Amino acid sequence: MSWLNLWRNRRRTLITAASVYFAVILSIIMRSATLGVYDNMIHNFVTFSSGYMQVHLKGYWEESNIDNAMEHRASLADTFGRVAGVTAVIPRLQSFVLASGADQTKGAMAMGIIPSLERSATRFSEKLTVGSYPRSDTDRVALLGEELALRLKLKPGDTLVLIGQGYRAASAAGMFRVAGLLQLGSPELNQRMIFLPLKRAQEMFGAESLITSLALQVGNPAALEPVHQRLRQVLDTARLEVKTWKEMYPEMDQFITADSSGHIIMSGILYLMISFGLLGTLLMMTMERTHEFGILIALGLRKSKIGLMLLGESVIIALMGCAMGMLSGFGIVWWFQSNPIRLTGQLRDMYISYGIDPVIALSTRPDIFYIQAVVVLVISVVLVLAPVWKVMRLKPVEAINS
Amino acid sequence: MNQANAKPATVIDAHELSKVYNGHQIPVRAVDNVHLHIEEGEFTAIVGPSGSGKSTLLHLIGGLDAPTAGSVILAGTDLTQLSENELIDFRLHNIGFVFQAYNLVPVLTARENVGFVMQLQGVPREEREARVRTLLEEVGLADKAESKPGKLSGGQQQRVAVARALASKPRIVLADEPTANLDSVSAANLLDIMARLNRDENITFLFSTHDQRVIEKARRVITLVDGRVVSDEIRQ
Repeated sequence: MSWLNLWRNRRRTLITAASVYFAVILSIIMRSATLGVYDNMIHNFVTFSSGYMQVHLKGYWEESNIDNAMEHRASLADTFGRVAGVTAVIPRLQSFVLASGADQTKGAMAMGIIPSLERSATRFSEKLTVGSYPRSDTDRVALLGEELALRLKLKPGDTLVLIGQGYRAASAAGMFRVAGLLQLGSPELNQRMIFLPLKRAQEMFGAESLITSLALQVGNPAALEPVHQRLRQVLDTARLEVKTWKEMYPEMDQFITADSSGHIIMSGILYLMISFGLLGTLLMMTMERTHEFGILIALGLRKSKIGLMLLGESVIIALMGCAMGMLSGFGIVWWFQSNPIRLTGQLRDMYISYGIDPVIALSTRPDIFYIQAVVVLVISVVLVLAPVWKVMRLKPVEAINS
Repeated sequence: MNQANAKPATVIDAHELSKVYNGHQIPVRAVDNVHLHIEEGEFTAIVGPSGSGKSTLLHLIGGLDAPTAGSVILAGTDLTQLSENELIDFRLHNIGFVFQAYNLVPVLTARENVGFVMQLQGVPREEREARVRTLLEEVGLADKAESKPGKLSGGQQQRVAVARALASKPRIVLADEPTANLDSVSAANLLDIMARLNRDENITFLFSTHDQRVIEKARRVITLVDGRVVSDEIRQ
């Protein structure tokens, strides 16, 4: 009966459902763009620095010194690799160096990586913009962030000189051919990262068979905590520790939380606006049918059942708009995820100044979509309380005579 | 509800029934100390000029409004002692209503409108459908079963309303000015149907009306003036 009642005034029902539809689409796009930017920022930053999670010697994060390096044992990587949720275990050795080009010197972070492993585990090679990716894991070559290369006035084929402190106060120095330049998607990393084959980095730092960390890639970055718990169960916690990116970069997590609350308020305002529209429709539908409700009560229909009928009408309108909005929203989000928006001009500069890659790639996390359905459903249930309250106070004779 | 104490022969027993509406300054006595006794199978008309309290009396008898004083005992149950939900359930099982403006549910077909009350009663689908067919045949609208009210004439809608009122097998049908919106042919048809149902199936009808055609058909005519019963005429 709720369904039939909705089509008494087809135009009004469709307009109300359309208001829900557009609010859901807008909300999905807003939330998806916000989370997409965050996900992108986190992915770009942690993938090519710490990993979503990292295993290292206890105390290393507080004192990130190459002297706190640990033995690179294949058995350790195997153990972590078998933990559910972990998709890759990537050994890295890193330390600060002074990097010199032809006539410029700059402080940088030199990271030893296994190029073949990074290619498959982090799709590192896709970040290459100029030059070539190392063909073997032992080439004496370096990959540089674009910004750093610009500062050092280096291009592929040039020679890069690195000087720093090696393992246990040994001096570290090395000369590498620049193989290629990288666009890492994080302005901060672009300005300071140098990647060397792990073998060559170990030689330079005098840290044979040592690594500073095992970076862990995970299948679902949004659900780190269960993986974190499982890792702690297999970890030698007396010697090693595992940290999530949120523990390693709390300021990034706090920034996201603070920025996200602004977006949630915007969505709230949007939903408040459609709530008034929906409430108006529901009240109008109730007022128009006061006489009919009186008749139904006279015939023997309990007021609570009329309330349920109104609830059904409200939920149907809301879900109609919501379902269509979710479908359309998913289509739009899916398209923009495949075709991310590259920001230009002042907006681009502003994003970079915040350390965010100036690219808006929309997120397709399922919760973005089903949360809209839940929110709209809750709104439709809460709003119907007003007309239900009116119905519960109806006096049959007054309603029949209205 | 105390159905066990129902007196089969007496359907309505109203004692010292009064209804006073508190106007802005002067209280209005719409029904004033009415005593009424209606027995099963009666075909009774309550008549009187506009504002005499006919509709208010029907509303009080039907449990749609609460009296200021007095009591209404319908089929052995004192309506003034029932809670709101008990009253609604009582109406569902014991009273059929026919309103002046038909008041069918516009989104339901004639068949669904007639079946609606039985659905509320929890009558099984097959039994319900069979009774709906019978009732629509009795009111001459079997061929309009799938028509919605908007597609029916006023007379047809009121016949559906009569079928709906009878669907729940009520102890009494209360009809408030049932012919007021009908042309003479439709009114005559409707009255014939109701008279036949009263005669053949012993259904009790109580009308409020000032339609002379209804009054002529009635076997008992109660006249109200200013909320008081001024005459109670039983015809042979």
